[in-house]
Amino acid sequence: MDPMTFSIIRHRLFRIVDEAVMTLKHVSGSAITNEGHDLMVSLYRADGTLLMGGVGFLHHLTSAAEACKSIIRRFEGDIHEGDIFLLNDPYTAALHTSDIYLVSPIHHEGRLVAWSACFVHVYDIGAVNPGGFAPQAPDIYTEGFSSPGIRLVAGGEMRQDVLDTILNMVRSPEMVTLDLRSMIACNNVARDRMQSLMTKYGANEVDGACAELVTQSEELFRARLRELPDGQWQSRQYLDVNGVTARVNLTMTKRDDRLIFDFSGSDPQSPYSINCTKWASLGGLFAPLFPLLCYDITWNEGVLRPVEMIAPEGSIVNCTRPAPVSVATVGAIQSVNNAACSTIGKMLGASDKYRNQSTAVWHANHFAIFKFGRNQKGGHSIGILTETFAGAGGARSFADGVEIGGEIPNPISRMANVETVEAAFPVRYLFRRRAPDSGGPGEYRGGTGGELALVPHKAPDGGINYVISGKGSRHPMSEGLAGGYPGAPNSYVWVKAPEDGANAPVTAADGLGAIPGTQERVSWGVFPLMGRDALYVRWNGGGGHGDPIARDPEAVRRDVAAGLVTTQSAGDIYGVALRDGAVDEIETLARRKGIRSARLAPEAAE
Amino acid sequence: MSGRDRISASVAVTDGQAVCTACGQVLGSATEPWKAHAHRREIPLAQAGGPAYDTGHEGVVLRHFYCPGCAALLDTETAMAGDPVLDDILAPRA
Repeated sequence: MDPMTFSIIRHRLFRIVDEAVMTLKHVSGSAITNEGHDLMVSLYRADGTLLMGGVGFLHHLTSAAEACKSIIRRFEGDIHEGDIFLLNDPYTAALHTSDIYLVSPIHHEGRLVAWSACFVHVYDIGAVNPGGFAPQAPDIYTEGFSSPGIRLVAGGEMRQDVLDTILNMVRSPEMVTLDLRSMIACNNVARDRMQSLMTKYGANEVDGACAELVTQSEELFRARLRELPDGQWQSRQYLDVNGVTARVNLTMTKRDDRLIFDFSGSDPQSPYSINCTKWASLGGLFAPLFPLLCYDITWNEGVLRPVEMIAPEGSIVNCTRPAPVSVATVGAIQSVNNAACSTIGKMLGASDKYRNQSTAVWHANHFAIFKFGRNQKGGHSIGILTETFAGAGGARSFADGVEIGGEIPNPISRMANVETVEAAFPVRYLFRRRAPDSGGPGEYRGGTGGELALVPHKAPDGGINYVISGKGSRHPMSEGLAGGYPGAPNSYVWVKAPEDGANAPVTAADGLGAIPGTQERVSWGVFPLMGRDALYVRWNGGGGHGDPIARDPEAVRRDVAAGLVTTQSAGDIYGVALRDGAVDEIETLARRKGIRSARLAPEAAE
Repeated sequence: MSGRDRISASVAVTDGQAVCTACGQVLGSATEPWKAHAHRREIPLAQAGGPAYDTGHEGVVLRHFYCPGCAALLDTETAMAGDPVLDDILAPRA
C-alpha cells in the first residue's frame, strides 16, 4: 500500500473515533459522562481485535475487544447490518455491570468488515446500592442487571421489549435511556463514517491498511522494548475494606521484546466487591502501558501481542463467579493499573534513553462517592462526586507532578464545576481546593490532590444519602520512585454537627478542622448527609520522585507560599528552614545535615 | 541497551556493580537485589509524612532505603510490617 493512502486511512480512523466521542457527549446528559469523561469509544476489526483505541478510560480497550469476540461467538450467523448488541456481564468481558458496552457490527456491501464499541457508566444499573458501585453486594447477583450479550437494536430498529425490560430494573430509567441512546448515536456515527471510508477507498484497501496498522504497532512496540533494559521489577498495592487488607502483587519481567506481568502471590478473591475478572485485569495493566510505552504508537492488537499476563484463578485479580465486582474499576482494576504504572515507571527509569518518560504513580485511588436522594426541585438525583476524576500527577525525573492533574488511565478525565453539582443536588460546598502535603515528597514532588467539604442545602428531606466505596484510607497507593514518597492517602470524614449549635450557620471553613462537630471516619457503605452535618473528602496526591532533601529549597519555599506544603513538612521532610518567608540557607544546610546523620544512626539500621 | 546502565534514577550500574548515583557507594552485584546492601528503616506511616499520612491505623510503614555511604534516600516502599521487600534487578547482560 502506498504510504500516503495508508497515512490518510490511519488519520481517518483517529477522526472517526473523535467524532464518535463528541456525538456520545452531545447526546448524553449525565455528569459522569460529560464532566468526568467516564466513557470510551474504539474501533475493532471484523474478528473483534482492537484496531483503533480511543480516548476515555483505557481499561476498556481490551475488554471491549473481548466483548466484540463474545458477541461474534454467541450470535454467529445471526449478525446483521444495523444491529447493536449490549453486553455488561463482568464474567464475559465487561469491567462491572454499570459500565455497559454497546457493540455495533459495521457492514459494507453486505459483508461484516469491522466493529464499533463504546461504554458509559450508566446512571444506574439496579444494583443493591444506587449508582452501580455496590459496597453492600455480597455477590454478582446483587449487582444489578447483567447480560452476557443481548440484541438491543435489530436492523436499525430499537427492540422496545428489551429496552423496557432493562429500564424496568433500574432507578431513573429516563436517564439510563439517555445513556443508552447516547451510545447508540455514537456507534451510528462510527458505523456511518467507516462505511463512507470504505466506499471511498474500497473495503479491501481499508482492511489492508488496518492489517498494516496492527503490524506497524507490533513492530514499533517490540522495537521499543528491545531498547529498554532486561530485568525484573516489583510492585505491591494494598486495598483496605472494612478493616480487611488485600494485596495485589506484581512482578513485571522484560526480556528482549516481551513483557510479562505476573500477579502470582496476590490475595484470594475478597468477599467485598473490589475483585476483578481476568479481562478486567488485562485492561488494568494496559491502561498505563498504552500512554507510557506507546504514546507515539497506535493503540491496537499489535501492542497486545508482546504482552503476557499471569493472573491466578480465584485471586482478587482473576475472581470466579459469583464473586462481587461492582467496585472493581476503583478496586482491583485500579490497583492493577497502579502496580503496572509503578513497574513500567521503574523500567523506564532504568533506561538512559527513556528515563525522562518514567513517572511515579498518579492518582491511585478513586473514592467513588455516589450521592442520591430527593433534590431541591422535587425530583430524584443520583450522581458521582466527579472530583474522583480530578486526580493528581505523579512526579517525573525532571519535574513535579501536575497539581490535581488527572490520571494515567484516562487522559481526558476532569471534574464538574461546583455549581454544576449544587444545581443538581441539594448540597453546598464549604470549600474545594488543593490539599496541603498531599503530594508525595521528593526531589520532584508529586502533584497535590484535593479536599472538599459538603453540607446539605435546601434539601426537601433534610439532606441526602451517599454510597461510598472508599478504600485507600489506610495505605498510600500512589507509590513514589527512586526515593520519592507516595502521595498521601485518602480521607473520608463524617462531621457530625454539635447538638447545641442549632441556630449557628455553617460558615465557609478553612479546612476540616474549622468545621464544627465531631469527626467520624467513614469508608465503605451507605451513609446520611443530613441536617447540619458535613462530609469531608481528601483525595490522594501523586507519588514523588527522588530524595526530598535533594529538592531545591526555593521550590519548597514556593510550595509553602502557595499552600501546597506546610511549614512543618518543609522542615521535617524537606529539611528546609524558612524565615520571614525566605529560605534560611544556613539553617537549611544544618537541618539537612542532621537528617542525613539521623538516617545512618546505628539504631536506624536494620 | 545503550548508554550508561542504571537500575533506577538513584542506583546506577558500574562494572557490574549496583552503585549509588550520588556517591558511587557499591550496593552489591547489579543482578542481585541491591536493597540488601542499603540501610533500611521502617517508619510508621503516621510519622512518615506529617498529619496527612496519619490515617489513625497502625501496622502500615513507609520503608526507607538509604545509601550507607552518603545517606541518600534511594527508594521507598509502602508496606505492612513483615511483608517482603520489593526487588528490582537487571538481567545479566547476554
